[in-house]
Amino acid sequence: MSFLLPCPNCGRRSVYEFRFGGEVRLVPAVDAPLAAWQNYRFHRTNAAGVQTEWWFHRSGCRQWLYAVRNTVTNEVLEAYLPGEKP
Amino acid sequence: MKFHFQGGAVEAKDGDTIAAALYRHGQRTFSRSFKYHRPRGLLCVRGKCPNCLMNVDGIPNIRTCITPVRDGMRVKAQNAFPSLETDWLSITQRLDWLMPVGWYYKTFTHRALWHAAEPIIRKVAGLGEVLTSENRSYEHSWMHCDRAVIGGGWAGIEAAQAAGARGEQVVLVDDQPALGGQSRYRKHAEKVSSDRIERLRALPNVRILLDSYCFGLYEGNLLGIVQRNPHPGAAERLVHLRAQHTTLASGTFETPLLFPNHDLPGIMLSTGVLRLVHLYGIAAGKRAVVVGARDAALEISAELREAGIEVVATVRADQITMATGSACVQGIQTEVGRFACDLVAVCGPQVPDVGLAAQAGGKLTWSAAHAAFLPTGLPAHVSLLGAAAGEGLGGIPTPVPPSKRVFVCLCSDVSSQDLCDGIAEGFDHIETLKRYTTATMGPCQGRMCQLSAIGVCARQTGRSIAETGVTTSRPPNPGVTLGALAGPSHHPIRRTPMHYAHEKLGAVWMDMSDWKRPRYYRTSSASAEKECVLAEYRAVREEVGIIDVSTLGKLVLRGADCGKLLDKVYTHRFSDLRPGRVRYALMCDEGGIILDDGTIARLSDDRYFVTTTTGNLEFVHQWLDWYLAGSGWDVHVANVTAGYGAMNIAGPRSREVLSKLTDCDLTSAAFPYMACREAEVAAIPVAMLRIGFVGETGWEIHCPAESAEALWEAVLEAGRELNIRPFGVEAQRLLRLEKRHVIVGVDTDALTNPYEADLAWAVKLEKPDFVGKAVLSRAQDLSRERLIGFVLRGPGLPEDGAAIVADGALAGRVTSTRHSPARQAAVGLGWVKVAQAKEGASVDVRVDGKLVPATITLQPFYDPEGGRLRQ
Repeated sequence: MSFLLPCPNCGRRSVYEFRFGGEVRLVPAVDAPLAAWQNYRFHRTNAAGVQTEWWFHRSGCRQWLYAVRNTVTNEVLEAYLPGEKP
Repeated sequence: MKFHFQGGAVEAKDGDTIAAALYRHGQRTFSRSFKYHRPRGLLCVRGKCPNCLMNVDGIPNIRTCITPVRDGMRVKAQNAFPSLETDWLSITQRLDWLMPVGWYYKTFTHRALWHAAEPIIRKVAGLGEVLTSENRSYEHSWMHCDRAVIGGGWAGIEAAQAAGARGEQVVLVDDQPALGGQSRYRKHAEKVSSDRIERLRALPNVRILLDSYCFGLYEGNLLGIVQRNPHPGAAERLVHLRAQHTTLASGTFETPLLFPNHDLPGIMLSTGVLRLVHLYGIAAGKRAVVVGARDAALEISAELREAGIEVVATVRADQITMATGSACVQGIQTEVGRFACDLVAVCGPQVPDVGLAAQAGGKLTWSAAHAAFLPTGLPAHVSLLGAAAGEGLGGIPTPVPPSKRVFVCLCSDVSSQDLCDGIAEGFDHIETLKRYTTATMGPCQGRMCQLSAIGVCARQTGRSIAETGVTTSRPPNPGVTLGALAGPSHHPIRRTPMHYAHEKLGAVWMDMSDWKRPRYYRTSSASAEKECVLAEYRAVREEVGIIDVSTLGKLVLRGADCGKLLDKVYTHRFSDLRPGRVRYALMCDEGGIILDDGTIARLSDDRYFVTTTTGNLEFVHQWLDWYLAGSGWDVHVANVTAGYGAMNIAGPRSREVLSKLTDCDLTSAAFPYMACREAEVAAIPVAMLRIGFVGETGWEIHCPAESAEALWEAVLEAGRELNIRPFGVEAQRLLRLEKRHVIVGVDTDALTNPYEADLAWAVKLEKPDFVGKAVLSRAQDLSRERLIGFVLRGPGLPEDGAAIVADGALAGRVTSTRHSPARQAAVGLGWVKVAQAKEGASVDVRVDGKLVPATITLQPFYDPEGGRLRQ
């Protein structure tokens, strides 16, 4: 894995500067059935294709961001800060 | 220059490689082969074959043909005993009938057999000895460019020149010590004039890396490059080169023609002979036979004659019955007669070096016109130029005769007969054949043998070469030392602001994540750890002690919504914490598993001070930021860990000590347990938290790091007459254990929830929402284990992880133990099943292999009511 990730603050940087935070998913409501929480905590969509993910720019601006990545080609289509969808 | 080789000294000329100097010195055998210990001599003389690997200054498997001589270096042969010339293990050649292809699979059908044989096999076969200590230094560097050009022959130079002229930032990489490629040693190669190289060197935007090889092309056009001897202080430098575009002009390399005994020393590739002649001024032999197709053979013959080598014959490979000689070639036996010689120059097929193109995603397809596998379908950011793209290539592949004495794979002695046998046994796909016979899997990574192996496979299976195809090319190729990949050995050390004060006090250090912490202090009167720790313990329990806790993670939160954030990520409630108060803080994940703990002090309405455990700071900080991301909440989190020093002053006389240094009212009425104040101590602005990890009256004081040492000294000075004593981590652990305070990650693990760890009081389920609530609100009944305290009723001290046994069956495990001075017994924490976690119940704990009875308690071992904390 050595692709580049376009950080909205810092520009294109090596993926090694980032911490992967998993796929972006809906957090169940606090009173949702345990099965929903179990699914949230232990199961992954594991998409073969485009998915939106959390990334943390550990060795850069130290911000959490969203990156839209094709998991097959590792092409990052876009990256943006939460709440700042372009 | 001189260097040591097998007990003697070898003279070398300027510019010599080790192999060149040895060859001039008369050395013909350079290594013994992997399996049969056959003598092997120089073959390619450019770092592509496995024949010249030696141990240089203790480093195994050095390609001596491309390693320059340094004065005084020590060169040793590998895999030969007693010497390269007489290797007793060459007897294995006569036993080859015992070792058919797939020998390991066929012979070691029982595990015991393998265990018996493995140590012997390791000794007699293989490559060099593993390096157990390494004192060379390695570097990493990162580079970016518009264009990377791999290969410094005419094609690479042209490409770099053109890109440089366009204004691109260019990096040109070549594995040789000079630019020019084959024109450096081949008369008829495309000439590269020296002023062309000078023009290229003059371009400021072109960087040239010589003596550097590219071992992999990775995702995102990242090139892995190893630069040899970048400067006298470093053995190798790993360059991470990120290029917008990569131009591969890696040219071709020559491969052997195969006939029985073609691997004898003295039988060399024609380019190898020419390199010896033109680069090092060595006439490689006196009488030579040239093997190859007519035109190529004539061309080489002419060049050899010019160099003063007599050419006695030119023959085609398929005319040769065998090469004769034992230590070195002495003749070539052909259908028409025998030619005596001491050198054979083989004009073998030129193979385009396209491994990087294949790694980039190119598909290698057989081109009959070029008689080579060439990549198709390269991605847009990679292009291929020159001979590597097939320019000037052509010819007809020479068939390989099946024979026990035709070694297709020189690296691991796989003969053409072995390949045929493998195919007959059903491994007829090139990929399975590779894995079964190990052909192409050695140090040369198939450079010398891949084409021949494919040829054998194609003929034996009746398929075409195109149908047979090639095996996958993967990085790293060529091989890379682990040292280069690992880079400089750099272990960061963090020191607290009081580090040097501890040193003067006799601190014995321990590592805690990257930090150095005093484990205990050696004094003039006591030096044994046990004595020192006990004295430190007594100081805290009876008088006063001070410990450096600067390593605690420290975060300052500011903003109107701090309470909201803390309520969300911690299990306790913090929005209702009054300014000037402190609360224990426990953090769980969504599954209710304990992640971290610490304390949170509310310094003012919109300002909270959060501590985390030493190792979890970074995690907690990111965790808080994650919950803030996109929330729009007014919270700013600042990591002040390095900015603040911290110390804990604890013991019945701590108030007395601190009162001397501050105007702050320290009486319990004004400054009760779990309160905090911002004040001045010794005229230093501090935050004081009245908390008690060790179970005595005490204050945790945080101050600016630059003043921490001064404050530490001031407290020690003020406490001198009250017998204050610095205490280390070991005493602190004993003190906290007596209080049954949990250390997250020591007493808890990745499955522990707060109920099990007896921390239910820190979970406020009445809060509308917090991380972990969904599970924790339903987990109370799901707990299976419980963290308990136990007092041992016998001698000894159980180890961490020791078994706890109840009714003859395993009930759980011990997590922490110490000998408690307060209880005059060994006490500890451990896990047992919920049903067994009863106050006063008896269990057995394994100590030194014996079961010792112990009594379970759910109370602290010391001061269970916590009265001393509140005094």
